[in-house]
Amino acid sequence: MKTKNIDFIVAPNPPHFVGDGFRVHNFIPSVPKLDMQNMDPFIMMDYNSKYNFPPADKPRGVGVHPHKGFETVTIAYKGKVAHHDSSGGGGVIGEGEIQWMTAGKGVLHKEYHEEEWSKTGGEFQMVQLWVNLPKKDKSTDAKYQAVKYDQISRVELPKNGGNIEVIAGEYNGTKGAASTFSPIHMMNAKLKKGGKAEFNFPANYTTTLLLIEGSIKVNGSEEIATDHLALMARDGEHFKIEATEEAVVLVLSGEPINEPIAAHGPFVMNTRDELVKAFNDFNNGKFGELN
Amino acid sequence: MQEYRFLDFLTTNIAADQAVLNHLLNQCKRKSYKKGSFLIFSGDICEYIFFIEKGLLRQYSIDNKGKEHILQFAPEGWLLNDRESMSLKKGSKFNIEALEDTDVFILDQEIMDKLEQEIPNLSEFNKELLNNHIRQLQNRVNLLLSATAEERYLSFVKMYPDILLRVPQWMVASYLGITPESLSRVRKELASKNFKPNS
Repeated sequence: MKTKNIDFIVAPNPPHFVGDGFRVHNFIPSVPKLDMQNMDPFIMMDYNSKYNFPPADKPRGVGVHPHKGFETVTIAYKGKVAHHDSSGGGGVIGEGEIQWMTAGKGVLHKEYHEEEWSKTGGEFQMVQLWVNLPKKDKSTDAKYQAVKYDQISRVELPKNGGNIEVIAGEYNGTKGAASTFSPIHMMNAKLKKGGKAEFNFPANYTTTLLLIEGSIKVNGSEEIATDHLALMARDGEHFKIEATEEAVVLVLSGEPINEPIAAHGPFVMNTRDELVKAFNDFNNGKFGELN
Repeated sequence: MQEYRFLDFLTTNIAADQAVLNHLLNQCKRKSYKKGSFLIFSGDICEYIFFIEKGLLRQYSIDNKGKEHILQFAPEGWLLNDRESMSLKKGSKFNIEALEDTDVFILDQEIMDKLEQEIPNLSEFNKELLNNHIRQLQNRVNLLLSATAEERYLSFVKMYPDILLRVPQWMVASYLGITPESLSRVRKELASKNFKPNS
């Protein structure tokens, strides 16, 4: 088995606000070489690095907007997010929890800081990812998978080095709770200082690491600092990380879908015609209505 | 070389040599406006034609009661100016505001005159633009006079497929000449007709 090396490491872009509730650094697709084609099947990554929101009576967030043709994955590290959608779904994503929403054929939704959390405010940190859907699944029904704290599979690391929380796919044979439409491994590595973990993913998979907390060394040499992202090369299968200080690392690895991507705003389809149809459907109320 | 939407636009519409069009492109000023900034305030003489390379503009007036009325939105690929103000050198009735961070190419009368000499087809093209503009305005007046709120909305989303995702609903209502409540009702009625969850 060959070693998988780091292709490059990037610092976070300057942040911008999504609505008034999410202060994010965009990595995918705006950073050069982190475009949708190269990062396939991960087509968008917004990272709300730790940010202190003051108390607010009216919860901050993003108003009603549509999605179609992909899945959104929200990982809450600090703070709580509430959401509602046009098919009547809704819920709260608590600290350490994940929500996997399949927009599929189209959904309208809104997301806000959870009301009670909003009243006290505090540290807020989260990741929102968009995972593309294969052509055959783009029109699947919208659905949610909520991965609550006690549903997360945990794999203890040797020498009391910490654990791996598996969200989707698997780590050393332990499967994550979320089901996916294409092969994807998604996990949080929570390492104590000096803790080590090893990973094996097929060489051709798109593999990336985001440092949520602390810092790590990859393959014994290159160091990744907090809030930085490393894109792994497609040159091998195996790599190891070691925490140089207590660390949380979001590890993503997915098989490229390798289909044409036609994206505009919140719709990600395969062709321009499908995009036009998506806008028509949205404008004509086919995604429903949400206030 | 960077690809410009404006060059695409010129190449598609003006039968002239690529070198001439490149020259035209280079003659135009380019400017970036931050979201929320103004290109023209009402009362200013609108001396320019703006080509929107990236972003979104709105042209609107404010009535005596302080209410805003949106005459048009101009997303990327559109031209925007005030023909009355430009041709008569009269203060414009309208403000032009950037609703997103916007990049524009700017054509003024001097450039237009110079270019008309260099590119014989340009006056022909200008005439065509004017005809289009009049046609649009006629349609718009007719819809405002005779169409239902739903018909106006459907015609709006046909012309501006993605604007609903880029501006607040009250602006769309203002463009349509209806209240935000009516717009919400129209969208609800369309949804109840067309939304079929999990079918």
